[in-house]
Amino acid sequence: MSDLSNLDFDSMTPAEFEQYLPELFASGEGGKLSEDPRLATFLSANPDCAALVRDLETIADTAKNLLVSEQEPSDSVWSNIANKLQQQSGDDEPVDLSE
Amino acid sequence: MGLQGLQTMQTKPNAGLFKRNPPIAGEAEAIERAKNGDPDAFSKLYSLHKRRVYTLCLRMLGNVSEAEDMTQEAFLHLFRKLGSFRGESAFSTWLHRLTVNLVLMHLRKKGLQLVSLEETINPSEEDAPKRDFGSRDTQLAGSVDRVTLERAVASLPPGYRMVFVLHDVEGFEHNEIATMLECSTGNSKSQLHKARLKLRELLRHPDQLPELESSREVVQ
Repeated sequence: MSDLSNLDFDSMTPAEFEQYLPELFASGEGGKLSEDPRLATFLSANPDCAALVRDLETIADTAKNLLVSEQEPSDSVWSNIANKLQQQSGDDEPVDLSE
Repeated sequence: MGLQGLQTMQTKPNAGLFKRNPPIAGEAEAIERAKNGDPDAFSKLYSLHKRRVYTLCLRMLGNVSEAEDMTQEAFLHLFRKLGSFRGESAFSTWLHRLTVNLVLMHLRKKGLQLVSLEETINPSEEDAPKRDFGSRDTQLAGSVDRVTLERAVASLPPGYRMVFVLHDVEGFEHNEIATMLECSTGNSKSQLHKARLKLRELLRHPDQLPELESSREVVQ
């Protein structure tokens, strides 16, 4: 990946920005890239790049909300699990696995 | 990484995932009772975690039938391995890693086993995001709603979808993803970036996104 340590944020080109963007996002530590003071001058001079950063942040932020959106498996999943565990228990005493 | 690797990854607690996966009331007691063979306790663990595990499988596989099969496998594996859980990470984090590794093993068995996942998860040229990433005609109109993003994620090429779900939805770090996918950290970062760029493209035309397979959604 790209090394950010020697990068001149103010004078980089959009192409260089594209090259460094994955690392810039990864090094953000949860902060917003659009609010990174190192990028303020560059982003104000390159509105398309600023729009890109905002869009990718929107996508990443919305993705966090997907974690609380859950789907329910069908009841047959637990039935199958219970049946397999009872089969595995073999000659042992019966296992009551009612959910 | 095989399931053995899962055990070693457990030894390094991840504060971020503890934060995202806080302990659930009654879970610790259920774990201890289930370790001692209490079937009611295992049933409770299933009830507590079935939705998260199933949804993770569904997002990674994009297929209801396969997702249900892998959910079943994950809990059967959990039943066998529960004794090795030492509580050094959140139980849900441990269970999700177990599930991710089972899904990855399943995918490799389906055809990815002869070459490294790093190569095979790279999508074809036509699936890759366009290079004019910064032009105005690729910009989003505004906010993105959750359901539309879910549909767009389901439309991603498998490799992109995998990294995006693991990082942006599940909250795994790049080094963890690299270990699980057997790729470099740089590759994980690059794949995530391409996935987000591809999503940006897809989200500009939400009317063209396919409907999701029907499932019973539970929003917490």
